[in-house]
Amino acid sequence: MATTRGGNFGKVLEIDLSKKTFKTRTVPDEIYQQFLGGAGMGDYFLLKEYKAHQDPLAENSFLYLGAGPLNGTYCPSTRMSVVNMSPYTKRLSHAEVGAHIGPEIKWAGWDGIYIRGKSKKPVWLYIRNDKVEFRDASKLWGKDTATTEDMIAEELKDPRIRVACIGPAGENEVPYSCLIVERFRAAARTSTGALMGNKKLKAVAIKGTGYVPAVDNDRFLKAAKGAKQYAVDHEGWQGIKRWGTAGLLELKNWGTGSLVTKNYQTTWFPDISYIGAEEASRRFWKRHVACTHCPVHCQKLGVIRGGKYSGLIAEGPEYETGGLLGSNVGVSEFDGMMAAIELCDALGLDAISTGGCIAFAMECVEKGVLSKADLDGIDLEWGNADAVVEMVKKIAYKNGKAGKLLSKGVLAMSQEIGQGSEKWAVQTKGKEMAAHDPRGDKPRAVSYAMGQCGGDHHESNSPAGQAKRCLHNSLVTCSFVGGYWSLDMFTDMLNPLCGWSITEDDLMKTGQRIRTLERCFDVREGISRKDDVLPYRMTNESLPEGPKKGAIFTSADTKKMQEDYYAYFGWDNDGVPTDTTLKNLSLDYLIDDIKAARKNL
Amino acid sequence: MEREEKEHSDILQKDTTRRGFLKGAAVAAGGAVALATVGVMKPVTAKAAESAKPAKIIRHLFVERQNCTGCRGCEFACSLFHEGVVRPEAARVHVNKYKGIVDVPVICWHCEDAPCIEACPVEPKAIYKDEKTNGILINKDTCLGAKCSKCLEACPAQFLRLHPDTGLPLTCDLCGGDPECVKACLAQSGNPQGPCIMGDKLGFGVNLAYRDVTPEEAAEDLMNNFFYPNETGERGER
Repeated sequence: MATTRGGNFGKVLEIDLSKKTFKTRTVPDEIYQQFLGGAGMGDYFLLKEYKAHQDPLAENSFLYLGAGPLNGTYCPSTRMSVVNMSPYTKRLSHAEVGAHIGPEIKWAGWDGIYIRGKSKKPVWLYIRNDKVEFRDASKLWGKDTATTEDMIAEELKDPRIRVACIGPAGENEVPYSCLIVERFRAAARTSTGALMGNKKLKAVAIKGTGYVPAVDNDRFLKAAKGAKQYAVDHEGWQGIKRWGTAGLLELKNWGTGSLVTKNYQTTWFPDISYIGAEEASRRFWKRHVACTHCPVHCQKLGVIRGGKYSGLIAEGPEYETGGLLGSNVGVSEFDGMMAAIELCDALGLDAISTGGCIAFAMECVEKGVLSKADLDGIDLEWGNADAVVEMVKKIAYKNGKAGKLLSKGVLAMSQEIGQGSEKWAVQTKGKEMAAHDPRGDKPRAVSYAMGQCGGDHHESNSPAGQAKRCLHNSLVTCSFVGGYWSLDMFTDMLNPLCGWSITEDDLMKTGQRIRTLERCFDVREGISRKDDVLPYRMTNESLPEGPKKGAIFTSADTKKMQEDYYAYFGWDNDGVPTDTTLKNLSLDYLIDDIKAARKNL
Repeated sequence: MEREEKEHSDILQKDTTRRGFLKGAAVAAGGAVALATVGVMKPVTAKAAESAKPAKIIRHLFVERQNCTGCRGCEFACSLFHEGVVRPEAARVHVNKYKGIVDVPVICWHCEDAPCIEACPVEPKAIYKDEKTNGILINKDTCLGAKCSKCLEACPAQFLRLHPDTGLPLTCDLCGGDPECVKACLAQSGNPQGPCIMGDKLGFGVNLAYRDVTPEEAAEDLMNNFFYPNETGERGER
């Protein structure tokens, strides 16, 4: 087993919260060549260490904060990958998050941070290069994410510390609570908040003073500079530079016909003009903010300049947050929507799931299966921004009957409520769907139904795209910036950086390997073809209005999508990776596991 | 001085974005360091960005803090030039983040009076100015490093930091007249607000007004001017 030569350190920081100890786990270069880092590495650890049907909140459960070989180098726009078994969906999950924390892990001399065990008292971790301090978080417990970060920066007297923390929602173990990085960036879809809350881990603060060595620095720099210039010049990014992802709100309503509206009932929301990018630009945005070394700066910060929420600083709307907490709950009041989005960031909630749950409850009220009395007297009707804000608070604290109900998530809610509500429970594999309606935007169905996370917008729209997205997640580059890079740009950077000699085909195979590995984890948990479907509403109700009026995702569409997908990855008709495929991808050690799991499908 | 003035009038005539900026800068020079011209986000064309690039040796830096997107391209370019690797903690120029909301780029202003050199207890001075380029240099052999740190304390902009390995102060030598950070900031700026780190002084005493604030104060100022423009000037409640 060879040691790593460049790009990666071959070292993962392994922290045990129960014993308050830490040590170095060495990882050989072969594993990096197979899984690259980031999400791929986390997936690998999960599959190696978890037996089938592991309790995601057990003592030995862990979360992995992963960086990739390109993090901390000249390569622009690198992120951090968060991998864990989700306590919400009981499946392998990973999320990628921006800001500056990913490269910081590398500058501290690690390829990733692996945290297991449970603390008895609230604790936060201060990682400075090779030193780890377990600090008392009793004063931070209960504070929102913004206050937590401020207090940590204050305590360390360091304006360049990078903090990832959970909010009250995570402490209360709301199933869809998330990890918030640098106040506004969320690794949302993994339920990491609930896991960290369960571990009594409030925050991780990282500071590194080192650098990432390269095997052939000159050649690497030439390639990385080329990649960056590409990011500066490519016209695909110009819209995001100016409008962030909020620009999609208008586009998806007027053009694509896939903006989710009123719990996915329709995709037509003319009031988008009041909550979209143009309105935000006119009355709200103040700053463009970039992640590390990124020329695209898609994050927009703004302040509300009057009225009830006057002076509130918030980030967004992004496409997902604006779609789910705006059009999907029928809200056309800009300030109210921003207040709800800001609350999700501050309390540490996944804005997508939160919006999905509130929209579901609203439809329940509309259809008469939930009454005001069930919801603590909150008037959940379409477009009531105050009620949405109130509800977000209740969910984060599991407050009252309403908070307890809505914090369970759409699937559990529909099971509890019954009365036909499963027909408008929009979720795939137990997770609420994001803000692109797959009836209007059919390729998006691949991301929702076939992707690893379930209900996730971030998994790309084709089988080959998903394999490539696995690469992005494992090298932990941005899917906006890296999304336009060709494979040879990646190999040109990776080979001189790590001293490898991999080809574009090798990279694609690596992407397929990572995706298949994730699938193996799911198969062990009992996931198969029957789960790779879209929710009832998408396949049984056609769009009533808008540019894509009448569109529906038919069962023939579903069949074709599934078969194309399985064929591309070499899985059988049940969606289980075949023995040949596993051998081809050098995943032989999984064959027995999969054989056993197949019997239980 | 005459040459400098001519340059400025050139800039004024060439480029409207500049003019707007200078107006703001004049307000700043007038008294409090107010950053008032931040409301509008206007895309800067590549041509306008190019016209701001001076052709000759740059003897000063200037930073328009309100334009910073916090991308740290300057840190990357700086450490790459001086250390040969990307290492932000060993970069001269650096960007601080406050409250997760504002980014404050911290640069060396190459002061005429140079309080850092004044403060150096070593004779002859271990920290000194290169006459030709106006860059601040360090004599590695005589500098006392971390145990002295007098220059760090003296710097009015709190720019100086210590190298994580050698413990010597990280001073800005202007890359010998063609600062990498200026180029990086320009290159990075599809930035709709225009570049943030720029070459040379802009006159009117602006540099002094911008210099004599600590990063914390600059952050406070940016916060107030960016984010609390309400009638009450107060922060909203959640």
